[in-house]
Formats: sequence, structure tokens, C-alpha cells
Amino acid sequence: MILDEALRRIRMLFQGRKFQHDLDEEMRTHKELREQEYVDRGLSRDAAHTAASRSFGNTASIRETSFRAWGWSWLEGLLQDVRYGVRSMFRSPALTIVALLSLALGIGANTAIFSFLDAVMLRSLPVKNPSQLVLFFGDELEYGVTDRYGSATLYSYPFFRQMQQKNAVFSDVAAMFSFWQNVHGTVEGRDAMEEMKVQLVSGTYFPMLGVQAPIGRTLTDEDDNSEGDHPVVVVSYAWWKRALASDPAVLNRKIKLGKTMFNIIGVAPPEFFGTKVGDAPDIWVPMSMMRSIPPEMKGYKDDFYQAMLIMGRLKPGVSPAQATANVNVLYQQIIRGFSDADLSQRNVAHLDKAHVTLLPMATGFSQLRRQFSEPLHLLMGITALVLLIACANIANLLLARSTARARELAVRQALGARRIRIVRQLLTESLLLAFIGGLLGVGLAVFADRLLLRMISGGADVIPLDVSLNTRLLLFTFTVTVATAVLFGIIPALRATRVELTDALKDGRGSSNGTARSPLGKALIVTQVAISLVLMVGAMLFVRTLVNLNKVDMGFDRENVLRLDIDSTVTGIKSDDPRMISMFQQIEQRIDALPGVKSASFASFFFNEGSWNTRIRVQGTTPDENVNVKHNVIGNGYFSTMQIPLLAGRTFGPQDTSTSQHVAIISESMAKNLFPARINPIGHHYYTGFDPKPENDVEVIGIVKDVKFGSLDEDQQYVDYLPNPQHPWGYGRLAVRYDGNFAAISNEVQRAIHGIDRTLPISHVSTLDDQVARSITNQRLVAQLSAFFGLLAVFLSCIGIYGLMSYMVGRRTNEIGIRIAIGASRANVRWLVMREIILLVAVGIAIGVPVTLLGSRVVTNMLFGLKGTDAVSLVASVVGLLLVAVLAGYLPARRAARVDPVIALRYE
Amino acid sequence: MKRDEIPPGTLYLLILKTLSLHGSLHGYEMANSIQQSSDDVLQVEEGSLYPALQRMLIKGWVTAEWGVTLGNRRARYYRLTAEGRKQLARELSQFQRVFGAINRVIQTA
Repeated sequence: MILDEALRRIRMLFQGRKFQHDLDEEMRTHKELREQEYVDRGLSRDAAHTAASRSFGNTASIRETSFRAWGWSWLEGLLQDVRYGVRSMFRSPALTIVALLSLALGIGANTAIFSFLDAVMLRSLPVKNPSQLVLFFGDELEYGVTDRYGSATLYSYPFFRQMQQKNAVFSDVAAMFSFWQNVHGTVEGRDAMEEMKVQLVSGTYFPMLGVQAPIGRTLTDEDDNSEGDHPVVVVSYAWWKRALASDPAVLNRKIKLGKTMFNIIGVAPPEFFGTKVGDAPDIWVPMSMMRSIPPEMKGYKDDFYQAMLIMGRLKPGVSPAQATANVNVLYQQIIRGFSDADLSQRNVAHLDKAHVTLLPMATGFSQLRRQFSEPLHLLMGITALVLLIACANIANLLLARSTARARELAVRQALGARRIRIVRQLLTESLLLAFIGGLLGVGLAVFADRLLLRMISGGADVIPLDVSLNTRLLLFTFTVTVATAVLFGIIPALRATRVELTDALKDGRGSSNGTARSPLGKALIVTQVAISLVLMVGAMLFVRTLVNLNKVDMGFDRENVLRLDIDSTVTGIKSDDPRMISMFQQIEQRIDALPGVKSASFASFFFNEGSWNTRIRVQGTTPDENVNVKHNVIGNGYFSTMQIPLLAGRTFGPQDTSTSQHVAIISESMAKNLFPARINPIGHHYYTGFDPKPENDVEVIGIVKDVKFGSLDEDQQYVDYLPNPQHPWGYGRLAVRYDGNFAAISNEVQRAIHGIDRTLPISHVSTLDDQVARSITNQRLVAQLSAFFGLLAVFLSCIGIYGLMSYMVGRRTNEIGIRIAIGASRANVRWLVMREIILLVAVGIAIGVPVTLLGSRVVTNMLFGLKGTDAVSLVASVVGLLLVAVLAGYLPARRAARVDPVIALRYE
Repeated sequence: MKRDEIPPGTLYLLILKTLSLHGSLHGYEMANSIQQSSDDVLQVEEGSLYPALQRMLIKGWVTAEWGVTLGNRRARYYRLTAEGRKQLARELSQFQRVFGAINRVIQTA
């Protein structure tokens, strides 16, 4: 019924003209019939006409009332307001452009940052009931310790199987391999190897997530129930599109990984990117095929091969607390129940303390989130403040304009327009501004998102993150826009309509003393200055942090070093095979001999590429369980390539072979802190790993300077270096110190590698410098963006100051004229105006300083090499802000001083 | 003759009732009919019929159709719908309730 009524209303709207016409006609008929009746009764035509009209009433108002009955008069009014608004926007184009520009920037920046916040932090995984999913996690870091005792951070595959069978709280449990493999494989029928991101998952992974394949099928438990005999893969939609050109016959194709030919059995749905935000696999392989994926891991049956992340779907009605209790009981049972469990006193003590926490994983889990959560929240705050400044600006501009329009508004009010009507008109105008600004902002955001994604990715490979516009985002923008409109529209609108009618009508420019009358405008300027100061100091802090980071002594020389990866697993030769060891040495020697190359070396880690750490046991000391040493397996030319100074002893040479005494070179602080005092570490022995096993025994042969290993802002790390022949292990990153042209050297180097083995895939060719730069991506992001927004804020504030001052000067023209006429000097007049500006800015700064000091506490842990209360940044910002603000005010002041008294007075 | 204004809120009732008696009427006939049925006591400001009719069209109580009068003029004829009949019953019972209540108050006084 209500629906019928709505339909009738809508029909009325569309046939409005016809309805109006019908109504007019029937009213006319009515009057004519009445008139005829009176004539028939004997009245004259004129008298009859008058009488009929009188008894009928006011036609115009009846038409109006009838029209209102349709319920569309608001629309009519709105259209009118919009038309009027557009006209008045065109009347002051400069103001409109400034307003739209600041709004577009403000809203665009907010939308862009929010879209990242949404993609990285807020959006749920595209799976069935994501809120039921939990992730097993320990109290420690994500990267577990793989010694032979239970760790609650990562789990073994047999552990997962038992958990799956024994638990009472999950409807299903799934496991996924905790780290990525970038494997080089071949699509059947092609020659070239291609790099593929492989994700090993349990067969329960897809069914548990409730993800179904649009083409073929996903993996099932069947694919995962016995080792080695299920060579099947599911490929991602993106990879299918990219690498297979959306081949409809995809299910007939095969991929060769290592020595095994895999059948493609399905394509995942387009929206499914896995469970790790910002890390989309190309193909999913069942865990049972682990051994067939280079580098041939053997964890399928190993009770303590802790490399799995486990997730479960809570049964309906099971509380997280119940689930946690159940999981922890099982955890102890399963770990202690393994036949090869090492239940030594030390391990049991560890086990007793172990606690599995269940983390909600509705939004997936992500390295990215940990890395960018703080910067993104901070940037969101910054952009919100920028938007606030933009709003203040527009409020100020509108305020100035509405005061200038005081006469027009007063006339309308005097003619009987209700105040609410005029407020509505003014609000419509600001809404219009906001909508157009918002639209521009969305356009800007689309562009900014792409730029940001590139900045966040920090390199050539763009992080697979969906930051395209979505409904949630548009809703956010819409809300921001409306809030903006209300914020900057309502005060000027209310103010503008609260004029004393007689005053305004008497004098088009309102009362003569303009300055005293705009406390609101001044308050807005003060606020803008205060916020600008906060943003500027913030920007300074972050820029200085970035500078400090770049000045950090890394212990190695980052310039002029090329780095690349080769994937030696494709050869099928084991890494401890002498042929492999000599292949690496051959490559090093061949490249060493190239013209323009000073030195070259493989290593398992260059800067910021992860680490392999264990505890160590130095003879003659009590081992400290909390000390981890990072191990780096290196080629003989490593120290000269990296230019890390040798402080004592010798570096590795050809004499250090797989059969000779195992040796190590240690870092300076390791020598100083982990070895007994007064003992020369050279010639001293220690064990890598906790257990004193003979194969872990190494002799120290050299000491080198400390280096940064993982990040620029880390504390001193303990690092030891081991020669590849003695620890053949995950090796394949090459650094080349060169002279001359990067591209030429890079080509030569790649040709030399392929000269040794032309099947070796080479990837990630870049420089060490890039590598270092990438490690501070988020600090750079924050520094660049906060600097940009800081400048934007100051710029907007200057516009605000300029606008307000011009306006005030304009209003005081005749006052100034009189002053000049009675002998005030131009300098006097200039000072008169400048005094005003300086006062406002000073008040703004006075408020801004304590706010800044309070606010800087929030960012203290994002800074490096300086404190939040950094005096240099504060003073520099205050001085800078004062300078530009005064400059913004100087122009109107100069104009004031040029006022010609004659013209100014005649104007009155 | 002095006529009384229609008590507020009863215009719909009068229109609905008139239509239910006569089937199909145009505005002028409605005005006349109300005036005559009330023995010329109630005065309809004739124009005020039209906003009311618009509202009743929206509510779906009446439908309108163009037709021709006996004098061969084009006129819009209104007719009750089923919903209109229900509304008439509702308005009537409400009116009687209120009117009865007022009556009782007056008589006790």
C-alpha cells in the first residue's frame, strides 16, 4: 500500500506538467460553472465573475497547496537552490577554484589513505564466514625456533594432523606453509622457466575456507592424504590470466616444478588472494607434494618440522576461550606424545611455559599490516587534519563571502524569506561545493592510490593489494564529504542570516569596523595556524628521521654494488654436492675477472633479506639462552665486495674446504661480548646451535667490523660468517662491486652466469643501494607524505590568511582612507594591518606548540636519532610558519597602504 | 444567509461520503452536493476541495477520469476506490466517536 502510494507520487513527479495542467483545467471549469450558475440566477456577468472567484478562493495558493500534496516541493526547492548555488559559484570563480582545490586535495588524501587502511587492515577475507576463523599463534614472534622442543609459534605437519583429529572445537583445521617459495618452473610446452610463488597448503585449506573454484576444482583432503602421489595444483585467477592468457583449456595444461610434472586441476576465484594480505600466491600445491617442490623439503612426516601456520574454523557456539583451552590441552598432549620428543628437563621447562593463543583472522594475517599499521594510522590522522584545515579555509571564504552578501540576504529576509530558507540555501551551496570537491577527490584518490601502492611496494614489484574503489570506500568518502559540507557550511550560514536588517540595508558593506566583527574568522585562522604547526613539526621529525637513517653507518659500503638472485635448485643438484659448491666458486671467479668488476661474492643474506639465527655455545662460558647469533654463509670474496674491514685474523680462502677444520669469522661485538674476557677469540672454538655436537664446532679465524644486518635502526647484532663449502645451505644471492655503467655490468654478469650454466634463472637484479632504500620504505613513505601534507597545510593556511586579510582590508578601505587623509604614513598603515596578522599567527603558534609537544609523544617510537621534543624541528617550523604567514598577509597590507584617500572617501 | 465553515478535519469525510452516495462526481458537483445536503449550512470554500482531492488521489482513496458533463463540457470525475470505502468507514467511526463524546460532554453540562 505504501509502495502503491510511492509509485503514485513518482508518477505525479514525472507527469507533473500534465497534472498541473489537469488541475488548472478543472479549476477553470469549476469557476465557469459557478459563474454560469450566478448568471442564470440573474446576476450580471461581472458580478457573477467576482462572486464565483470569491467563493472559489485564491487559485495560485490552491495550486501551490495541491502541488505540495504530492510531496515533491522539497525537490523543486532543492533544484532551485542548486541552480542558484551554481550561479553564485560562477560569480566568484577564484573562491570557487580555491575551495574546490582544497576540498579535492583534502578529501582525495583521506580517501586514498583510507583505501589502504581498508585493504591492509579492515577488509575481511573473501571467504565463507571469516569471523569464525582463528589462527594458532604463540606468545613469541611469528618465526619459530626449530630446535627439538615444542614451539608454540609454528607447527609441524603431523602436529596439524593430530590437532585436526583430536580437537573438539573446530569444524575444520587447515595448515599452510609459513614461508614462501619463489620457485622457477616451466609451463608444459614452453622453454623458458618462469618464477612462480608457490603456497603449500593442507588439503583442508580450500574446503575449510569455503572457497570454490569457478573452473575445475580446488584441493581436497584426498590430495593430501599420502606423500608424493598427488601432483596437482590450483592456480590463482590472476596467474591464469597473466601467465596462461586466460586459456579456457587450462585444465589440460601442466606445470613442471623441479622434476615433477603437476596437473592443473582448477583456477581459484578472482577475488581470492589467499589468506595473507599483500602476498598473493600464483599456485597452491598440496602439502603431500612438499618433497617435489624445490628445494625439496622433507617435513611431511617430521614431527618437529616446524614450518606450518595452522588455522581453524570455530564450530558455531564455541567461544574463543573454550577453543583456546581445548587447543592448549591438546598442544601439550600432542607434543609430549611424539615418539621422538626430547623431554629433557630444559625442553619440558619450555613446554610448560608454552601457550597457544588463538588470533581472530577474519581480515587475514599480514606482514604488511604489522609494517604499515602505525604509518597508515598516522597518515590517516594527518590527512584528517589537512581536511580540517581545508574546511576551516572554506568556512572562512564562505564567511567572508556571505558577509559580503549581507545586503542581498537582508533584502531577501526583508521581503519575507524565512531564515531557515536562507540557511538551507547557503547549506545547499556548501553541499554543492563539497560534492563537486568530493567527486574531484575520488578521482584524485584513484590516481593517488596507484602512486601510494608504488611507494609502499618500494620497488619494481608492486604488492598485490586491491586498493580499487569499492562501496565501503565510496560510503566513507560520501560521509566525509557530507560532514565537511556541514562543518564548513553551517556556521557561515547561521552567521550570515543573523544580520541586523537595518544596518545591513543601510550600508551594503555592513558596519564599518570589519575587524571587530569577525572573531569567528580569526578563530579559524588561529586554528589553521595551530594545526599547520603540528603538521609541520611532524613532517620535520619524519624527514629528519629519514635523513638520520640514511646517515647510519652500516658497516659496509652500499654504493656501486649490483645484486641478483639465481635459483640453483633448478639444476637438481644438491647444495652439498661438490659440483654445486664448485659451480658457485666458478661463477664468482668468472665474474671477478670481468672488466669493471672489483669483486664478487655469493652469500645467503645481504642486508634486510631475513636471517638464520641460532644460539651458540662458546667454550668456557655459560650459554645465554636469550642471545641469538645471526649466521651468514658467504663466498670468499664477501668482505672485499661489501668492504667490511677485517680487524684481526684472516678471511676465508681456498684452504677452507668441506673436509678441513670448520671455521668462522665473527663480528666485533660478538668477539667483545660473547667470548671470555682476556681471551683472544682467534683460534678459540664455539658451537653453533645449542647442542655441543662435533659437526657444529667451529674455530674462529677472523674478526670483522660490525654491520647492520636486518634494518638500519636495529641495535648492534651478533653475526658470524661461515664458508659455503663447510655449510652448503640456501645460497644464491650474488653481490658484485663494480665500476662504471650498471646496465652494462649487469648484462656482462648475467652473460657470465649463463656461460657456466645457461638454465640458471636470474631474478631480482638491482643494487645494494636499492635494497637498503627498500628497507626504509615505510619511513620514507611517512616522511614524504607528511612533508607533502605539511606543506599543503601551510599552503592552505596561507590562502586562508591572505583571504581573510584581503577581505578585512577591503572592508576597512574608508577607515584607512581617513587615516591616510589625516596624515598617517603608508608604513603606519601597513603596520596596522600587519599587526593583526602577526598577532593571529602568534596566537596560533602559542596554541600549536604545546599541542605539538603532546602530539609528538604518539610518534616517538617512529623516530630515529631524535626525540619527539626535538628543538630544532620545533624552532625551524615556528620560524618557517611565521615567515610564510607574514608573507601571505603582507600582500593585502601593501594594498592597504596604497589606498588613495580621495577614492576611498568618495566611495562612501 | 450566514453559513458555517466546515469543521477542521471533516473535509475528507464529507468528500468520501458524497462520492459514496453519488458514485462519480466532478469538483463543482461535489461542492454543490455538500452544500445542498447540509441544507446550505456548511460552506465549502470551493477551491479547498482540490488540494484535498490531490491528497486523496495520492492516498489512493479516489481515482479520477476525464469525462463530459450534460452541458457538454470536459470535467474530471472522481470515484471512490475500495481503499476509499475503507477510509470512509474509518473516518465515519472516528467522527461518531468524537462527536458522541462531545455530545455527552455537552449534555452532562
